[in-house]
Amino acid sequence: MYLLRLAIKSLANRRFSAILTVLAIALSVTLLLAVEKVRTEARASFTSTIAGTDLVVGARSGSVQLLLYSVFRIGNATNNIRWDSYQHVTEHPQVAWAIPLSLGDSHRGFRVMGTTPGYFEHYRHGRDQALVFASGAQFDDLYDAVLGADVARELGYALTDEMVLAHGTGSVSFVDHADKPFRVSGILRKTGTPVDRTIHISLQGIEALHVDWQQGMPGRGAASVSAEQAREMDLTPKAITAVLLGLTSRISTFAVQREINQFGGEPLQAVLPGVALQELWSLLGMAEKALFIVSLFVVLTGLVGMLTAILSSLNERRREMAILRSVGARPRHVFSLLLLEAASLAFAGIMIGLGLMYLCLWLAQPLILSRYGLYIAITPPGPYEWTLLGAILAASVLMGSVPAWRAYRQSLADGLSIRT
Amino acid sequence: MQPFLIQLDAVTFAWPGQSRLLDIQSFALYRGERVFLKGPSGSGKTTLLGLLGGVLLPDSGSIKLLEKSLADLSAARRDRFRADHTGYIFQMFNLLPYLSLVENVTLPCRFSAVRRARALARSASLEQAALDLLAGLGLSDPQLLRRSVSELSIGQQQRVAAARALIGNPELVIADEPTSALDADSREAFLQLLFAECERGGSSLLFVSHDSSLEPLFDRALSLKDINRAATTAEVL
Repeated sequence: MYLLRLAIKSLANRRFSAILTVLAIALSVTLLLAVEKVRTEARASFTSTIAGTDLVVGARSGSVQLLLYSVFRIGNATNNIRWDSYQHVTEHPQVAWAIPLSLGDSHRGFRVMGTTPGYFEHYRHGRDQALVFASGAQFDDLYDAVLGADVARELGYALTDEMVLAHGTGSVSFVDHADKPFRVSGILRKTGTPVDRTIHISLQGIEALHVDWQQGMPGRGAASVSAEQAREMDLTPKAITAVLLGLTSRISTFAVQREINQFGGEPLQAVLPGVALQELWSLLGMAEKALFIVSLFVVLTGLVGMLTAILSSLNERRREMAILRSVGARPRHVFSLLLLEAASLAFAGIMIGLGLMYLCLWLAQPLILSRYGLYIAITPPGPYEWTLLGAILAASVLMGSVPAWRAYRQSLADGLSIRT
Repeated sequence: MQPFLIQLDAVTFAWPGQSRLLDIQSFALYRGERVFLKGPSGSGKTTLLGLLGGVLLPDSGSIKLLEKSLADLSAARRDRFRADHTGYIFQMFNLLPYLSLVENVTLPCRFSAVRRARALARSASLEQAALDLLAGLGLSDPQLLRRSVSELSIGQQQRVAAARALIGNPELVIADEPTSALDADSREAFLQLLFAECERGGSSLLFVSHDSSLEPLFDRALSLKDINRAATTAEVL
């Protein structure tokens, strides 16, 4: 492989432009690989926002909409589920556990969700990871609240702090529940799911907040009920927003789903969270594909830069080619030399890009984990990455054949005479 | 009579769209000969060297190198034939700046198996063969050998180029104005060294120059003007 040594030495002789070219390719490769990495990890994280739940039940609407308000806490339910319907569902012999969710209130931009202690026991995300308390414990008292990691961090709450919840889901609310403040009983560890942005209270807590409300307004004067009085009242909810179901056996999922969908009491809908998540991702996937295409174009730009650098060097290298011809190099040697030059530049770019990507990953990994709850595993490049990198190398050789062909023609025309 | 090394017979050549540049009835070079070919620039000298190197083919007539007609070989075979049997020295800037002195000298052995084999038949390694030749041409200072070729004087560069042309003992060495950038004293010194090495390696030398002061040093001197009938007719017209 004497030609390869010649190509590398010739490049080293023009090291300034060679280094710039390699750097351009390296940066574009880093970008492409990083985008690919984040893309696959984000998809994996997204599709595992909710795990371990077999069915999500809500009022009949669309499966994506149900998923959006019950799991992602985006938008509102069009209808609630009556409490007796919920009880009917929980009594189904195949149902192992059921977690009611009641949404509708907020606190400074974060959603408040009423649920049961079963939520902390059965909710799973990622690869079957349970919710873990960073401090404190689940709610015990009627006015206890468990905060998601982001809520606690962004609002600066610590255990036993008091908070006043607001009615409605806007970040600015004109009606609040100042008469019934809540106390922070626990803070969850970061999950990278919408759980981080949720304030969890008991279903009874939700009920207590609204016990004296009439026609969407708090009761006044004699009609108002104090926090202590509410404790004595019947706080069984009349309606909830959605239910998460765990079944005794996976096999019965479709049968239970059908039964719920055909429930006579009121129009209900049960969806498989995995299927609905895939459906939702296919909507969001457009942005992800666009990102991939953009980074492909950046790589192309890097390679075109290389092409430009080699092409513009050809004229000043006619002497070099003529000398090589005079010592016995044939035109095909000149062709191979330039092809090897392009391949060497691209290979160096790819390897440095790969190294740079891992360096960035290593530096950013803890930051991404704490900021976005996204754990990006540092794994060696898989077959997909190698295919991608191989394709880049192949593309560079293909592009390198343009200057190689020109040099080939040039050296045939110039022969042994040195023209400068 | 020694056998022919180069034999030109009724060779004509014209660049496309131009009038005839070369018309050589006969020109021959014997093995072991040192021939001075005088030709001012523009006399078709470079074209003649292109024909001898097999880079160009004549419009008519035949060119034989080592009794082999170049026109009968394919372009690739001509290239290989040239690489195996001819060494070149040009006017100046003969060397690749990114290779070391020794690497520059061994370059022909990388492209010609014949010359590689011949060099290795005499020396233990290509590097040794290069060092021997360089020493013969007066370049043996180890400090000098370590220098980058662009740091050498022109005279030193031309001696490296000569070593490169001579490595692997090609039958023919073609020198195209190799001394025109040197001063008069170094010219003769360079030629003496070149002659000695050609003789040692058994190479013939075709020396092309416009400087007739060097003529007496050669076995035979020719003028391109005299052998090229196209030039005379051009002058008459």
